[in-house]
Amino acid sequence: MMAWYQGPQARRFAVALVVVVALLGVLPVIGIDAYIHNQLTLLFITIAGALAWNWMGGFVGQISFGHAAMFGIGAFVSARLMLSLHLPVPLCWLGGAVVAGVFALGAHPLLRLRGPYFSIATIGLGEASRLVFTFWEKFTGGSSGLSLPIDSIMKYQLYWYALILVGLVAITSVAIRKSSLGLKLLAIKADADAAADVGISATFYQDLIFVLSGAVMGLTGGMYASYQSFIEPNDMFGFDRAISFVLIAVIGGVGVSLGPVLGAVVFVLVKIYLLTSHPDLYLGLYGLLLILVVLFEPLGLTGLYRRIARLVGPKRPAVGQAK
Amino acid sequence: MARLLDMVVSAVLLAGLYATMAYGLGLIYGVLRVVNLAHGGVIMVGAYLGWCLYVGFGIDPYLSIPLVAVASFAIGVAMYQGLVRRLPRGAAGGPASLLLLFGVWLVLRNIAYLLFKGDDRSIRTEYSSQSLTLLGTHISINRLAVVGIAILIAVGMHLLLKRTQTGRAIRAVAQNADSCTVVGINTNRIYTLTFGIGSALAGVAGVLLATLFSFSPGTTGSPELLKSFVVVVLAGLGSVGGVAVSALIVATVEVFAILVLPSYLTTAVGFVLLMVVLVLRPGGLFGTRVLS
Repeated sequence: MMAWYQGPQARRFAVALVVVVALLGVLPVIGIDAYIHNQLTLLFITIAGALAWNWMGGFVGQISFGHAAMFGIGAFVSARLMLSLHLPVPLCWLGGAVVAGVFALGAHPLLRLRGPYFSIATIGLGEASRLVFTFWEKFTGGSSGLSLPIDSIMKYQLYWYALILVGLVAITSVAIRKSSLGLKLLAIKADADAAADVGISATFYQDLIFVLSGAVMGLTGGMYASYQSFIEPNDMFGFDRAISFVLIAVIGGVGVSLGPVLGAVVFVLVKIYLLTSHPDLYLGLYGLLLILVVLFEPLGLTGLYRRIARLVGPKRPAVGQAK
Repeated sequence: MARLLDMVVSAVLLAGLYATMAYGLGLIYGVLRVVNLAHGGVIMVGAYLGWCLYVGFGIDPYLSIPLVAVASFAIGVAMYQGLVRRLPRGAAGGPASLLLLFGVWLVLRNIAYLLFKGDDRSIRTEYSSQSLTLLGTHISINRLAVVGIAILIAVGMHLLLKRTQTGRAIRAVAQNADSCTVVGINTNRIYTLTFGIGSALAGVAGVLLATLFSFSPGTTGSPELLKSFVVVVLAGLGSVGGVAVSALIVATVEVFAILVLPSYLTTAVGFVLLMVVLVLRPGGLFGTRVLS
């Protein structure tokens, strides 16, 4: 088997990634207005979070409604590190990521559960951590929240930090998907018992992915906190936040390594549009989108794209490409 | 001592509500193997229907229960026929149905929000604040009625499932749907019916909820879904009597948590209990193992 970084497909991905990241990287230098600069920063953070969710929800097939727990922990730990220890900001993010990863490891017992049991247990995980962290005022400031000491330079630079994060997370996504680890996850997703019979421990690999996914979630949470420079537990740990990652991944294409990128772009655009024009239709529209995707195009926008590409694109012989 | 008795009584009364909420979720899962994530949404719809009938037409919430049951039954049938049935074969129990029904929940929440805004509402009748005094403890008439209805529903469900031809068909489909088609049971009809009954029960639970607590589109739904799920999982699947017992256990744990925890955190007890139960007894107290 070819390693994930070999072959024409990997080369194409590498070139595309370098070009896109380089282009986005020089955008602020050329000069874009502050609004777009901020929205792009937010978009990068969102994409990173959704990609990390997809590792668990898409690759392993365990739909988590509780990823906001790790997101919130990353945010509050990094905020605390800034406020109490005055560490350099990127170090604080890493600290948040580590704690979020350890927390995810602590959720190990939940990973024995599969399917709906796992999903609903994660709702419990998310809501319980929201309540506990709201209650823990010494650490999180309770419902009055925390303000972060982020200066305007840091906020400006956050753009590049978030861009680097997205690049790394995207590479990791493709690496997991195309490597033998990805195949093992696929086996677990298809049938955990059968995977165990050929020596693939569902528990071990789910732990691994949950910890990785949780740590990245913590990192995005930390960056998001710095972006907002004010955080409040009910929002950071909120159910709406948890489901936004689910929605993005589903809209973009669950299990497709870069599907959530597409999903996040659409999600953020729709959100910006809806919040200004029809804020009261916001949830329902996403619900409707979810229903339509599940019923008609289980791979979301990626599926739609592939369908259109097949219709209008040149007839290429099907190369043995994994779906 | 009097306080202890108070707490035991309030646990029993709360259990009535929890059991009613859980029956529908358990029934649908038992027969279709689908966790109805829209369950909390239907409970919310039931609460609003009861509220509208009370405020708009002056119909007493306990009298509106049959109306709400019929309406929620129709919602359930529509949900099954329009959505769940269309899932690709084999996907019905998987992530697809979770996401689908979750979408339905979001839509229901949004509709409620559009129609009623985000305000807290509740059904307050003349007898809402009346209570009986028994052995020195006060028992709210409302809560007592909720327990009575929960018991009625349990008995009704038991009779339906055990004594009627339809009930036998439902149980047969739950055991083995393929064999049922061989002996001429219309499985699609049974699934539709089950989804309808499950939703009707959720709607009724919503009315009961509305007579006891305030509700709003933002806050009603996920706690109810989670509590129903705790009860169902603890009971083990497919056990009507088990649901009543485990509703009592969950309610007791919650009520007594007030003794050791700050009141704000008692809400988290249900969620923690859910995780503990799932991890320690995933097969429930009265059911079979569900871990794959």
